[in-house]
Amino acid sequence: MFMKKEVIGPNQLLALIILFELGTAVLVPIGLESGHAVWLAILIALPGGIVLYLVFAHLYLQFPNQIISGYTRSILGPWLGWPVSLLFLPVLLYNGSRNLREAGDLLISASYDKTPILIINSIMIIAVMYILSKGIEVFARTAEIVLWIVIIMGCICIIAVISAGLVEYKNLFPLHMSDYKQALKSAYPNILIFPFGELMCFTTILPHFNKSRKIKKTGIAAIIVSACLLSFTHAIEMSVLGENLYSRTAFPMFTTITLVNMANFIQRLDALVMLTLIIGAFFKLTVYCYAAVAIANDLFKVNDTSRLVVPAGVIMLFSSFVSAQNYSEHMNDGKTFLQTILPVFCAVIPILLLLIHLVRRKFGLYR
Amino acid sequence: MENINSPVSPKLEDNISTIQARLGNSPDLVIRTYELINRTARVAAIYIAGITDRVMVDDYISHVMSFQALNDHARLAVTPEEVYSYIKENALSIGKEKLVTDINGLLEALLSGDTVILVNGVGGGISGSTCGGEARPVSEAATQVAIRGSKESFTETISTNIALVRKIIKNPDLWTETMKLGDVTHTDITIMYIRGIADEETIQAFKDKLQEIKVDMILESGYIEQIVEDNKYSPFPTMFNTERPDSVAGNLLDGRIAIFVDGTPFVLIAPTTFFMFFHTVEDYYQRYDISSLIRMLRFVCLVISMYGPAIFVAALNFHQEMIPTPLLINLASQREGVPFPAFVEAVLMEVTFEIIREAGVRMPSPIGQTVSIIGGLVLGTAAVQAGIVSPAMVIVVSLTGISSFATPAFNMALSIRMLRFIIMAIAAFMGLYGIAIFTIMLIAHLCSLRSLGVPYMTPIGPFVPGNLKDTFIRSPQSFTRLRKRLVNNSKRSSASPAGKRAAGRKSDER
Repeated sequence: MFMKKEVIGPNQLLALIILFELGTAVLVPIGLESGHAVWLAILIALPGGIVLYLVFAHLYLQFPNQIISGYTRSILGPWLGWPVSLLFLPVLLYNGSRNLREAGDLLISASYDKTPILIINSIMIIAVMYILSKGIEVFARTAEIVLWIVIIMGCICIIAVISAGLVEYKNLFPLHMSDYKQALKSAYPNILIFPFGELMCFTTILPHFNKSRKIKKTGIAAIIVSACLLSFTHAIEMSVLGENLYSRTAFPMFTTITLVNMANFIQRLDALVMLTLIIGAFFKLTVYCYAAVAIANDLFKVNDTSRLVVPAGVIMLFSSFVSAQNYSEHMNDGKTFLQTILPVFCAVIPILLLLIHLVRRKFGLYR
Repeated sequence: MENINSPVSPKLEDNISTIQARLGNSPDLVIRTYELINRTARVAAIYIAGITDRVMVDDYISHVMSFQALNDHARLAVTPEEVYSYIKENALSIGKEKLVTDINGLLEALLSGDTVILVNGVGGGISGSTCGGEARPVSEAATQVAIRGSKESFTETISTNIALVRKIIKNPDLWTETMKLGDVTHTDITIMYIRGIADEETIQAFKDKLQEIKVDMILESGYIEQIVEDNKYSPFPTMFNTERPDSVAGNLLDGRIAIFVDGTPFVLIAPTTFFMFFHTVEDYYQRYDISSLIRMLRFVCLVISMYGPAIFVAALNFHQEMIPTPLLINLASQREGVPFPAFVEAVLMEVTFEIIREAGVRMPSPIGQTVSIIGGLVLGTAAVQAGIVSPAMVIVVSLTGISSFATPAFNMALSIRMLRFIIMAIAAFMGLYGIAIFTIMLIAHLCSLRSLGVPYMTPIGPFVPGNLKDTFIRSPQSFTRLRKRLVNNSKRSSASPAGKRAAGRKSDER
């Protein structure tokens, strides 16, 4: 039977990118080395993020109907392209499982100290499988609606933190020359890769976009918005907690919100942060899962999209708690992963692909 | 089998005995035979008492048989054929006359309330519409009450219902199409839409769907609703039903289709969106500020009736830190003597509430109220005093119960009530986290629904900024000059004659 191609509109792409970018990045400390200038580091990394996105968008415009594994094979040839695309699979699955682990660990440390992580993670994975079995269109529409919920909750949290009088500017300023240097150092490549480089997943979603003329505008708008939100949130966190506490807590945002106490009545808004985290981690996880499934579908020529969702979900679920014994080990792994493997797949390979493509096209090397 | 369709025989006795045999000698079958004086023909008038209008039948018979007046003149009709053609011409005046040539057609005409005239010696009959009989008069809407606005509501008679809408929309473009469904019941179904506003492909697709229906009976519009729905396993209704003509009119003007079913005052409306179930016609009759506030209140009620007990259970079980300390101490002291966990307590009270509600609905109304009062007061107070539930739980449950009545559409309220139990169970198991994950899944499910091709969550997912003016709030008339767009998510909605669609659209969604 002929299936109508699933399409997503500009608003939906915007919502997906914002939710993906905010995902876990608002919760965990990012750019560890940047000190109290973390908010600046995020803004410094923003142009790089946009350039990276433009690379993905340009590749998409060159091959409008193919996902990354498809054009990797077109550009590098099937013999080299297939294995290279295959390498994306474990990276995507592992990175997705890291999000799952982070969400699970926060939940456990917040209020589920007696629940096994397997239960917590598997519930989330079941939801991911459900939503992916409905298709990318449904997923994008859900993101559109959920974004409103996140915005409302975010506003409540920020207003609560500010009106509780917790913000102290002395934690943010002054900025010295060394701070700028540090910020620059942590922006490139760390913050560039996480969270901006992770947009690589969207190379599998872009072919569903229905207004290809707007692709750059939409993406850039989404990235700028999410970078500003990220920077603002981290600035608030930093200003409330101070550099010392910020770098020591596992989840600065969570710690920040527990400090809110208004009129002895609005005391703990943890629930809101937890919901934000659940939603963010969920969407990031789903995008990763979708990307992995899409690439696997393309590589192994599976026509039914939803068939690989269950295996991919199960792999993610198990690697989420098998990969590291405890949270600090997980964070350590993450650091290494972020510094070595992720840059290769998020930035180096796509940029190389684009360069090779440009060279081949220029010299007419495509048959 | 004996039910074979034979042509009407020229012999009157044969026909009469066939009809009697086919109808099982039914006592309400009336056969009046006339011997026409001076003429060779014998004539029979056949109808079924009770579903015909007596006055009309008498008029009809006396009219078509008014040979007497012409007796003085030439012998007009001598042969049966002449009598037949004479009657045929006279029958024109009653209207809706048609010729029947076979027994099945004759029976169908009889059973729809027609009077059939048979002439001995002619293989055919003339039927004239005399349908009538007892019908409930147009009365005030019982289930969808409005403080302001038309008090009329639909009745069980399809022609009356169509007329009620026609009286509101006096436009030649208001089109109706009729068909009969149900292999046994032969129920009349009428589709109504406004040509030029409703999407033609949607209408065609819907008609095709109706034609494919193979069922024995259509007793109520609910049958059609359940058969036609795309998502049979979804808890959410994708068709709206109303018994208010003004609501139907408003929806027709929005480009929707109305489906009338004979025998029920509930008219179906499709395609629908989720938010439509929280709107009432009255929103447009009241001032915009009041209507907007009331609408928002309804959405708050939606959240309460879905999540109220679930959040309470989750907070007590998992997230005590969320509750301010004095309140927590208060709650804890209330629950001191209660032997059950919060979830059991909540389910106990919710089920009690559902039982009281259901009993109250089925009972005759004077007793029904007694049941609710006894159930509510006695059970609530007694349960607290007996230490089975805590007072706070009673408050939460009753608030939830009342909130669920604030949803204007009853079928949506039912779905939400059902989901409430699921969410409660999840909250007891996984707390807020479970609620959040389930909510995401629920939103995804809602987004995957379509009603006749229109995405169910239309104004917000897919996002249609123009329609937001009339979703959560009802903006002033001057802001909403454009009618809401039913997004069909395919190219054709933009390709269809845009000028016609956009011209002079007024906003109202009911």
